[in-house]
Amino acid sequence: MSSDVRHTTMLGRRSFLARAAGVALVGAFGAACSAPESRGTLRFYEQKQEVIAYFDKLLRAFEAEHPGLSVVHDSTSSIAPQFVRNDPADVGCFNANLELARYVERGQLSDLSHLPSAATIRPDIGKLAEQYATFPGRTSVLPYSLAAAGVIYNRKIFADHRLPVPTTWTEFVDVCTELKRAGVVPVYATGRTTWTIWQGLFDYSVGSLVDTAEFFRTMKELGTDVGPDSEVSFQKTFAVAMERAKTISTFFNADQAVRSYEDGNLAFGKGQAAMYLQGPWAIGQIALVDPKLDIGTFALPVSENPNDRKARVNVDLGLYIPQRSADVPAAAELVEFLMRPDVINAYNQDNLAYATTKTAPPQRDPRLAGLQTYVDRGAFYQGAGTFIPTSIPLGNYLQAAIGSGDFDTMLRQLDADWRRLARRGATT
Amino acid sequence: MKRRVEPVYYLFLVPTLVLFTAFVVGPALVGIFYSFTDYIGVGTWSFIGLSNYLALFDDPAILQSYTFTLGFAAVTVIIAQVIALGLAVGLSSRIRFLASLRSVFVLPMVLSGIVVAYVFSFLFSNTLPAAATAIGFAPLEQSILGNPDLAWLSIVIVSAWQTIPGAMLVYIGGLTAIPADLYEVSALDGAGPWRQFRSITVPLISGFIVINTILGVKGYLGAYDVIVGLTGGGPGTSTRSVAVTIFGGFTGGDYAYQMTNATIFFVLTVLISIVQLIATRGRMVRL
Repeated sequence: MSSDVRHTTMLGRRSFLARAAGVALVGAFGAACSAPESRGTLRFYEQKQEVIAYFDKLLRAFEAEHPGLSVVHDSTSSIAPQFVRNDPADVGCFNANLELARYVERGQLSDLSHLPSAATIRPDIGKLAEQYATFPGRTSVLPYSLAAAGVIYNRKIFADHRLPVPTTWTEFVDVCTELKRAGVVPVYATGRTTWTIWQGLFDYSVGSLVDTAEFFRTMKELGTDVGPDSEVSFQKTFAVAMERAKTISTFFNADQAVRSYEDGNLAFGKGQAAMYLQGPWAIGQIALVDPKLDIGTFALPVSENPNDRKARVNVDLGLYIPQRSADVPAAAELVEFLMRPDVINAYNQDNLAYATTKTAPPQRDPRLAGLQTYVDRGAFYQGAGTFIPTSIPLGNYLQAAIGSGDFDTMLRQLDADWRRLARRGATT
Repeated sequence: MKRRVEPVYYLFLVPTLVLFTAFVVGPALVGIFYSFTDYIGVGTWSFIGLSNYLALFDDPAILQSYTFTLGFAAVTVIIAQVIALGLAVGLSSRIRFLASLRSVFVLPMVLSGIVVAYVFSFLFSNTLPAAATAIGFAPLEQSILGNPDLAWLSIVIVSAWQTIPGAMLVYIGGLTAIPADLYEVSALDGAGPWRQFRSITVPLISGFIVINTILGVKGYLGAYDVIVGLTGGGPGTSTRSVAVTIFGGFTGGDYAYQMTNATIFFVLTVLISIVQLIATRGRMVRL
């Protein structure tokens, strides 16, 4: 079998050294103590800086349960170098996004469908990971942690001004107008940090109006034919959504263009704005400023029908085993350990996220209670911005559009860029 | 008589040659090779001939980044050289606290670009607007970093601020090499300070001006860290330099395409340096 061949001939440099060291150790002490036979070393690569210590503890627990296996824990925000060097970690735990999709599409990740835990994943969450790309006949990524994002709001400011949580677009505009009249910044934006404006303004405006997965599937099919008269296009399909975005941007803080993500967390933590278009990752940062700040979340309404509301989600962490892993069976053991209900549920509970399994309990943090119903019902979408390759500087285009109020030019630009990418086959 | 060069001297070249080939020439050739393919950094690839090159010339975003970079380099090099020369002349004259003043002016050089950029970005986004508001100077009450028409100025200012000390040191070295008696003689002949500067100082340090200009332009063409720290290429795409665009291609899976961009940029940078050399050749005065 090919994986056995790989096992012996393509042993990674580091795991080889580790095994050599292990053999030496066993040779030295083997006679004295009855140490378990070394089964080698796994490498685990994980993306989130915030949870390095958390995963470290998990991996030590795994080692204790699997005598002889040791796990090296590395963290990086960039997925490409390990694949480019042909030396990917045995188990990856990364954001399942367009970047990871490139490796999925090219068959660099092994099939996990036979693992027992694969059957425990909620089907609608499993589908999310496949919206960017798939490899025929394979389950390449197991979603591990789902993050849901919406509008974070300051409940005290809302109560002080006797404002309800808006459920329709008109109500939302009314709330903003009322706040502005009272001298409160309705929505704090951080235009200087480009990802924050596409993640918030762009994705939220589009998400409840357009089926993003379907839209981009068609866009890829159309390729170079995308234009004002094609079946779908940014100009045509996103027109209403960008009218909404334009209106929302008039309620931003005046200095949004020079405010960064850190500025935003600080300002919102100090109670300087009523709403903030950010995900759960910002909640932890806001709590550092004021742990007692009374905040809640809701999905941004962009139509007049409250039932249209959806939450923006992303597979914040997904597990995968590269084809080139030196020890696929051991890597699978680690995946199975991480997917165990007690482990996956605890991780997601502790990190303001949602476990991806059918039996997952609800997120108990009150600050996220406003989004629970969308996760339960599967009323969610992956942000439009996450489907756009980073070679299109979407965030920069948005800066210009917010500054000038001209979102049409941006949409025309996006169509032109899409055609150009499609011509050289770079839309994934 | 023909002098034989001791062979051991060639040995001294070996470490540099090996390192330069392995870490500069080799990777560059690999990059040029991939510019003719559709490689994304991983997996299989195939030759696509000149497609990347043709697509590049048809890409307004790429053309815009070249316009910005060339314009920025031209403006910055002039500003930086004028100020550096002025400072060098000042710091070569007989003034008090000369040594400490020289150290102060060299400080910016030892700071890393990204640190400088973040400090200035704070000044531009907070301090400057606050000061302008306090004195009621309306044009600067909004940060220039948020203004697509003015943001480039911030990059010129910070890049110049950071590179002036290096140029200044070179000029001070050049000024020291001019014999003092030239000035004494010309003073006896009735030449004032301006005339001395024009007719003695500038011609005798022209070689240093050439070197500084070529090195300066080369550095500004590769502007990256200052831009990332100050504007990130924004607002809009108004300050995206070629280097920022090229790097964007690596995370975006646009590897081969941006390799094409890098190849063209390399050729352009070499051409500019050659033109500068030719244009200034024969203008250098030697005593």
